[in-house]
Amino acid sequence: MIQLENVTKILGTRHVLDGVNLKVLKGETLAIVGPSGTGKSVTLKHMVRLMTPDEGRVVVDGRVVSEASGKELESIRDKFGVLFQGGALLEWLNVAENVALPLREKTRLSDEEIMAKVMEKLEMVGLEKDSEKFPAEISGGMRKRVGLARAIVTKPDIILYDEPTSGLDPVSSRMIDRLIDDLRKELGVTSVVVTHDLHSALSIATRIAMLTQGKIIELATPADFVKSQHEEVQQFLEAQFITVRGEWEKRGL
Amino acid sequence: MGREVLGACRNAGRAMLLLSEAIVCMSFVFTRRSRRETIHQMFVGGIKSLSVITVVASFTGMILALQTGIEMRRFGQEVYIGAAVMVSMLREMGPFMTGLILAASVGSAIAAQMGTMVVSEEIAALELMSINPVRYLVMPRLVAMMIMTPLLSFYSCIMGVVGGGVVGMTQLNVPWAAYIDNAIRFAENKDLFVGMLKAFLFGIIIVITACHQGFATTQGAVGVGNATRRTVILSFLSILVVGYMITRLFYV
Repeated sequence: MIQLENVTKILGTRHVLDGVNLKVLKGETLAIVGPSGTGKSVTLKHMVRLMTPDEGRVVVDGRVVSEASGKELESIRDKFGVLFQGGALLEWLNVAENVALPLREKTRLSDEEIMAKVMEKLEMVGLEKDSEKFPAEISGGMRKRVGLARAIVTKPDIILYDEPTSGLDPVSSRMIDRLIDDLRKELGVTSVVVTHDLHSALSIATRIAMLTQGKIIELATPADFVKSQHEEVQQFLEAQFITVRGEWEKRGL
Repeated sequence: MGREVLGACRNAGRAMLLLSEAIVCMSFVFTRRSRRETIHQMFVGGIKSLSVITVVASFTGMILALQTGIEMRRFGQEVYIGAAVMVSMLREMGPFMTGLILAASVGSAIAAQMGTMVVSEEIAALELMSINPVRYLVMPRLVAMMIMTPLLSFYSCIMGVVGGGVVGMTQLNVPWAAYIDNAIRFAENKDLFVGMLKAFLFGIIIVITACHQGFATTQGAVGVGNATRRTVILSFLSILVVGYMITRLFYV
């Protein structure tokens, strides 16, 4: 569905992505994990052409995103919903208007139809009572949930999540995880989740890719990921108090 | 040095591209959302600047009247301060002062807003929703300032002339009627036209500089600060240079 072929990105003098090859399959939730500054978000941005590779290419459903422009790029981007790290809500629009924005700008639905869809999505993320509030009046976790409602209101085939749980308390984090998991199970959406929260990745992902210094060093199911013999993967697992003999093994992973 | 010059040329080119894209997007100005946003920007950028423009323009007129009046009184020609104030305000000081005030207030605010939107990925979010940020954000602000800057400039001319008249009456013993009669007799349509043309161009300079700098923001809060600072400096310089060029074009 999404294919990164030998993607290299150089920012300044640093190879942020160094020949990354990655395939995201239809209907799966792929988590990209790794320490901060290793190119996780950059990888995500290449999938929707917010960044263009210096070498290699990105293909979505057979169409080369990294070379598309104009209407073609627009139609590829229409397949995507993106949850940005801080929600990326427009500050002068209230919660409901933020969620309604893509529908207002891209469809010819009536105001009533738009608001019905908006309220349905806000209900899904548990914010139907806060629809009149402005982004400045709600918490970080709520902003992310509004961002998620906006990402799914156009019913995209693919949703990209950029650090969906960073900066959130454990309860809000698990709520976001549940939402991501429900979207895959109920609507069959393909998801790519960039995170450094391994607990989150292990609970929601069908496959996990570990990115370090611009390279994918491991790509495996959660069960195999925790057993990885790769030194950097083990260090990363241990840093988050996850060991092979730990909790995940007891659960049979 | 060479790199700096190349960078400046590249930035000027990008700003011109942004302007041309915004002009192309103007065909959407009468859609319901754009119309509402444009009117909102006219209020935010224009009406909210009225108070400061009133004060600055009045004092500019008062200073002009006082300075010219003191010199002219030596020759017994102080009655001509009306002409001096009116012509200076219409041709130069009205659009110039309005341009500087709007660059410092509206331009910096636009740059800070755009910069913050870039940093918080709101611009990226708009692009991904296939909402053209130029059409959604730049065009309404550009249209608003293209309309409001000449209007505010005209208003500042009136306030300057009134301020000059008050000084004439109270400090220089020039009767109000004589002052106004003199001011109107020496004012030409060409002066008004040149002043309005300058203000119109200043409005474009302010919005395009601010949006271009805002969109080019990197490095978080520091970047937003830099974009705002550069916007004010570049707008001031451009206003000065363009103001001189227009005067040169029409009066020499």
